[in-house]
Amino acid sequence: MRTRLFVPLIAALMPLTGLVFAQHQHGQGDGKRFQDLSNAKGIAPDVVSKLTYERLVRAASEPQNWLTYYGNYNGQRYSSLDQINAGNVKNLKPAWTFQYGNVGLVASPALYSFEAAPIVVDGVMFVSGWEGYLWALDAKTGDLLWQYQHAIPLDTPLCCGNVNRGVAVANGKVFVATVNGYLVALDATNGKVVWKKVWCDVRAGESATLAPLVVKNLVIVGSSGAEFGVRGHIDAFDIDTGNRVWRRYNVPKPGEPGIETWGGGDAWARGGGTAWITGSYDPELDLVYWGTGNPGPDFDGDTRNGSNLYTSSVVAFDPDDGKLRWHYQWTPHDVWDYDGVNENILFEQDGRKLLGHFDKNGYLFILDRTNGSFVRATKFARADWGEIDETTGKVTVLKPPTQTGVMANPGPAGAKEWPHGCYSPKTGFLYTPVIEATANFKWKRQQFKESLPYWGGEASVVGEHWGEVKAFDPRTGKQAWAIREKSPMVASLLATAGDLIFTGRPNGEAVAYDARSGQELWSYQTGSGIHSNPVTYSVDGKQYVAIPSGWGGWLEGFAPGLFGGSRGNALFVFALPD
Amino acid sequence: MNTRTWLLPVAVFATIGLSAMSSAQTAVGELLRLLRPEVLRQLNNDVLRLVNFLPEVDGPNKAIIARLFAHGGLGHAKIQKDGSHRFSLRVPNGQFIFRPAIIVMGKAGKLDIDVKNEDEFSHHQILLPNNGGRMFMQFAPGETKKTTIELDGPGLYWFGCPVGNHAGRGMLGLILVLGETPDEAKLDRPRQKR
Repeated sequence: MRTRLFVPLIAALMPLTGLVFAQHQHGQGDGKRFQDLSNAKGIAPDVVSKLTYERLVRAASEPQNWLTYYGNYNGQRYSSLDQINAGNVKNLKPAWTFQYGNVGLVASPALYSFEAAPIVVDGVMFVSGWEGYLWALDAKTGDLLWQYQHAIPLDTPLCCGNVNRGVAVANGKVFVATVNGYLVALDATNGKVVWKKVWCDVRAGESATLAPLVVKNLVIVGSSGAEFGVRGHIDAFDIDTGNRVWRRYNVPKPGEPGIETWGGGDAWARGGGTAWITGSYDPELDLVYWGTGNPGPDFDGDTRNGSNLYTSSVVAFDPDDGKLRWHYQWTPHDVWDYDGVNENILFEQDGRKLLGHFDKNGYLFILDRTNGSFVRATKFARADWGEIDETTGKVTVLKPPTQTGVMANPGPAGAKEWPHGCYSPKTGFLYTPVIEATANFKWKRQQFKESLPYWGGEASVVGEHWGEVKAFDPRTGKQAWAIREKSPMVASLLATAGDLIFTGRPNGEAVAYDARSGQELWSYQTGSGIHSNPVTYSVDGKQYVAIPSGWGGWLEGFAPGLFGGSRGNALFVFALPD
Repeated sequence: MNTRTWLLPVAVFATIGLSAMSSAQTAVGELLRLLRPEVLRQLNNDVLRLVNFLPEVDGPNKAIIARLFAHGGLGHAKIQKDGSHRFSLRVPNGQFIFRPAIIVMGKAGKLDIDVKNEDEFSHHQILLPNNGGRMFMQFAPGETKKTTIELDGPGLYWFGCPVGNHAGRGMLGLILVLGETPDEAKLDRPRQKR
């Protein structure tokens, strides 16, 4: 009876409550941002306002900084710092750590992972995490300067984990792509939003995980979600206004070049070809090189007869308008989820402008990056899904998925997942982390429903899987050295002029190898598996190596035997003792 | 029999779709989801018994310990003149729940929210999702506080009380932002089946 009386009373009072609220000014009111109840200073030195495009082009001339995702537009992940070298790396010790344990519920609760490449500008570090986190840190001490968190919906469609690979910085701003498909520009001094744009459709299964790339006055980003049968795209926004300048789709629609590779019908509309790894850029040629993802559905190729351009490819485009100049397809008519998103490393050899690419399909490709012509391919891991002629590039398919299943190498995460290789101009070698895994590939016809995964079959990693780190001489395609590792290697490699290759292991060890021989010279147990982008920088003349540690990502694809590995969320920064 | 305790699990499970219920039960859940909490509370207990498919696990020892995850029902945020939303939450005395616990926003944007701690003895806090950083408020017994948060849409977010294990004992809630992704983010392709 009390309830019955109470309800009309509330109803009668509601209009009054409404009046009170109508007067309400939006603001924090009694609320405080969670990070304001911390030691965060709230302000960072103004180091990014002077960071121009011209400085990004000349990033190699300021090795104290790590200015872009790969450290440099060329994607080499190489630093000319050599204070830490093969002779003294054994003395490397933690200088500081930064941790941010998860608070509350989180999308992808078992697979959120710390994957970023920290960016460093004149003593200030900008590093992003899972779940919309972004921190500005004192690069010398690890002190928290400011923190931003974008609210991430629990139901964000994520094929492979709640992750973010880093930020871009320029003209006073920090740019971050959130997993729910927004691009946010923040004031680099205080983390306040300058502009925010939505560019991915979570209702359609899209998301975003990559680090943006600033080229000239544009910030360029690529979509994720090929496992949901989306139509992948790359977008460019004006860095000052946030206005979208162009969008290019990686799968053509009727009337556009390449549509003839989709077998007629409307398969193109669900054709995948997302672009979830940051591209590289050649300022002289004014060309951006960007990898594209697998076609959709992943394993059922009969729904999309043809080579399925421009999926599992590299697209070279004009940064000003996104127009395609050339493309090269690593895996035509991909039916193994091999993608083609992996980094494109730009380097010169004998006066030639080349592009090196370790593909998920198990081959290292060398292209002439002026026009995309094939130079050489080298098998860098077990790969029996097909055969690629190493001198002509001709592809012969051997093991497409069947309805009952076919065992093929590599598995769906590839012989190398997204974590990047590197190139040392000092040794002249290209280096790569390797996953050795076999999977049982099956196809099955699937009715497409927007926002649901669109695999068209399945692939299960079976049997033993392990890892390797390998070095190749791109002049000959010959392997220079290889180190076998107990577990699949799924952290990016970092090359330094100290003749070192830094990376991390799934068991949590940060590790350094001799760049010339592969001999292990140093390791340090960080306590959680490493699936991130180590970087190096210096402050006040002291060199540091920063390695995010925090296990997760698409473990089912690249290391199902390590699903239970200890989770973490710490950034370790190492230096030599004073 | 406490009607609220009976009903709340039904509303929660129907809304967030976690239970492995039969199709008939799902239909009932869908029906209940359409009803406002005020209406649900006025239903006859016998009717509730008929539609409640989780009686055997709800409140086995008549205390907070070991009851089915407690919850405070669902409510829709009101739209204000400037297009933002507003909503009022209560923390009822001695129940360790937010009422309502599921807030529905019709679209993305700002939400003005006030929270009243009706608990006579317990301090409570709230962590709310918010672009820029979670919003935090703390309440002594009897206190009411208000703040504004901003959320993208569509999407489902959580909020909770970070005091002690209040969250584990029922003080977790959800904010559901309805609507489509803005047109500027839509894919250029024919409409697809969902």
